[in-house]
Amino acid sequence: MITYRKQTLSNGLRVVVHRAEGGAMAAVNVLYGVGARNENPARTGFAHLFEHLMFRGTRAVPDFDTPLHRACAENNAFTNNDYTDYYITLPKENLATALWLEADRMGGLDITPAKLEAEKRVVVEEFNQRYLNQPYGDVWMLVREMAYKIHPYRWQTIGASPDHITGATPDEVRAFYARYYNPANAVLSIAADLEPERMLAMAAEWFGDVAAGVPPLDDIPAEPPPSAARRLEVERDVPATLITVAFPMGGRISDNCYACDILSDVLAGGSSARMYESLVRERRLFSSVNACITGDLDPGLFAVTGYLLPETSVEAGEQALWSELRRLCDEPVGEYELEKVRNKFEAETIFGELNVMNKAMNLGFYEMLGDLPLVNREVGIYRSFDAARLVEEARATFVPERSSTLIYDKV
Amino acid sequence: MKRQPEIVVPKSVALPAVEALTLPNGLPVHLVRTPGQEVARVSLVWAAGSAVQSQPFVASSTLNLLAEGSEALTAHEIAERLDFVGSYFDVSIDRDFAVATFCSLGKFFGPTLEMMGEIVLRPAFPEDEVALYARKRMERLAMERSKPAVKARELFSAALFGDSHPYGISSPESEYLKLRREDVRAFFERFYGAGNCFAVCSLGDDAGQREALLELLAQVPRSRPITDSPSLITPRSDPRRVLEIPGAVQSAVRAGRLLFPRGHEDFVGMQVVATILGGYFGSRLIQNLREERGYTYGVMAAMVNLRAAGYLAIATEVAAEATGDAVEQIFAEMERLKRELVAEDELENVRRSMLGEVMRILDGPFGIVDVVIENIQVSGAAGGADGVGGGWNAHCGCSARDYINDFIRQIEATTPERVRDLARKYLDRAAFTAVIVGKE
Repeated sequence: MITYRKQTLSNGLRVVVHRAEGGAMAAVNVLYGVGARNENPARTGFAHLFEHLMFRGTRAVPDFDTPLHRACAENNAFTNNDYTDYYITLPKENLATALWLEADRMGGLDITPAKLEAEKRVVVEEFNQRYLNQPYGDVWMLVREMAYKIHPYRWQTIGASPDHITGATPDEVRAFYARYYNPANAVLSIAADLEPERMLAMAAEWFGDVAAGVPPLDDIPAEPPPSAARRLEVERDVPATLITVAFPMGGRISDNCYACDILSDVLAGGSSARMYESLVRERRLFSSVNACITGDLDPGLFAVTGYLLPETSVEAGEQALWSELRRLCDEPVGEYELEKVRNKFEAETIFGELNVMNKAMNLGFYEMLGDLPLVNREVGIYRSFDAARLVEEARATFVPERSSTLIYDKV
Repeated sequence: MKRQPEIVVPKSVALPAVEALTLPNGLPVHLVRTPGQEVARVSLVWAAGSAVQSQPFVASSTLNLLAEGSEALTAHEIAERLDFVGSYFDVSIDRDFAVATFCSLGKFFGPTLEMMGEIVLRPAFPEDEVALYARKRMERLAMERSKPAVKARELFSAALFGDSHPYGISSPESEYLKLRREDVRAFFERFYGAGNCFAVCSLGDDAGQREALLELLAQVPRSRPITDSPSLITPRSDPRRVLEIPGAVQSAVRAGRLLFPRGHEDFVGMQVVATILGGYFGSRLIQNLREERGYTYGVMAAMVNLRAAGYLAIATEVAAEATGDAVEQIFAEMERLKRELVAEDELENVRRSMLGEVMRILDGPFGIVDVVIENIQVSGAAGGADGVGGGWNAHCGCSARDYINDFIRQIEATTPERVRDLARKYLDRAAFTAVIVGKE
């Protein structure tokens, strides 16, 4: 349970603060409502490239990092399909330093062609390191391309190809900054052992005069459900064949999304879960298995995956994955098993709120969703699903005609 | 534009009190009370890392198989009971130490403790679980070893210490097939006694939890400290090793040299040097290789501490065509540290970054456990820089508070002159090992 206070500044910035009793550290999180889903299909990877540019200084503060090092701070950022998140942790005495810097770069970023060129090279190396020079690095690129045809979730946050990154121009950067980086499209959240009133006042003091903007309200095309099963087989120089079967699922705050999260845990949450027990331990078909949801804002994907043991055929592996999915559609999950998953959500929620950074980040995320109280309601939502409901949701989700199957074959 | 806020430097780092006691079986226990927290953590640390094993993979297998079946419960039953209350059981191992950690909600501490008993007191290492594990692990290791960073790490250890040195050796995956239940059992009996172990715990207010935990830990079989562990042979470093990967778009580069373990008087000073070089985002290697040249997404430098050795390591993945120049730039930055005094301003950034890092680790109820573990691992280490493995004493002499404060004091006392002198003393290119996986 996180306590919080919320206030919206006149320029549209939403501010959420939490008093974290007893800690020496403060966390400042600034979330912008822009991610890969807002990108132009000809300029994929742009939101993430832009995130890098946010560290390249403003006219007023040319060097973003040095004042933070001075203030014993650490900072970083990440971009995903839906949003871009910047976070700073530092001793609470230095909270104002973090607010000063975040307010400054919300309005005054200074992007020169030279900075852009330097950052493109870094991002291309990130692309190489994390996706191209890694075994299985392009699995999710292939799965997304197969499962989405229209919606921008069809490309990864890093972008569809390094060419999209190298082609970005300074004008595109400026237009993107103006459209998405303004108070009306941002959430500031703070967690520290300070009076909430004081944190709200400091937020207003530092961010109050950042120029107002308009929320971008992009029109993002909805993905029609697939009408026939999709399948792709590729060969790669990898040690084991990987099978991935993905299905469309509901958006982040839909009932189907909560149900899918529970179902993925029934299948693969912990080493007592079904898939490990049956497919790895008993039948010895796979060396490892998993089930996961993307949990994106817009309708996402539910995926089951498994790395085959050398003696298992692709056909047998696929059948085994399907048998676990069918079981969820055919028989209700037992009460003990369900209680286990519910308890796990409760524990994970509490473990996920142990330090100031996670608290500030969570508050920013739920405010972005447009339902801040949900941050304390989700454990209850997970508890409210009974076995019959889950059978219904499983039947609605694990439809063969909607599946996208990737066979990532070992050569 | 608003004026920059004044920066405050925290004068000290607040640490909760740590209660240290020794149980009748000789097991040292360190307890931290975190009132008001609804979570608990217990970590058990054994001086049973891979360097003490006489057969490949037996150290990690023993640790990983602890929870795969006990005298009373199957692997599945143990996993299910922990999962049912949302508790975590995690293990980690390095060359020197094996660590098992339990985290639970305070209200589920009882059932978690029950499973802790099954796992650390009564593991059965069932035959079929050992076989399944070996098979699974063999596959997983092959998968890991297809990653350039993993290849580079293994090659670097071998180049730095020598192919057969306990800190340098890596074995083929197929060795897993030779793993027998008896080997694991024997390793457990030899290395998992109270004389080779310590426990660090973070608990809420409940006095009953403390008593129940101590009662369980008192059942760890008494054992003599292990003093006859195999002596570490003298390491022999190679200057350069290259593994060519046809078609690689990047090279994984590792560079470093043997120095000394944490107890050495220059260790913290060299941590400052490593931080200037590549230990924070403002570091010289980040500025050079990433921000100016765009060769890489990241680069880091750090001092690595082992019980009987320590080394400086630099790691990065760079564009394949830039490999040669990247290596030259790494050494050029070292030369610059030897030639020019670091500006007081830059050094102050580094000191504050390092102080901030300590404070961040301590945020939340579990970080203190990590600090206490590290302190004991370091100050309990016997043997020292000569590389002769002696006994190991888990009854450390100094408190976590002293340990942290001494660390901070040493950082504060590091001057530009000292940085230069340390660089001149230790950053000798001829003593370095460089490893490249990708394109030379």
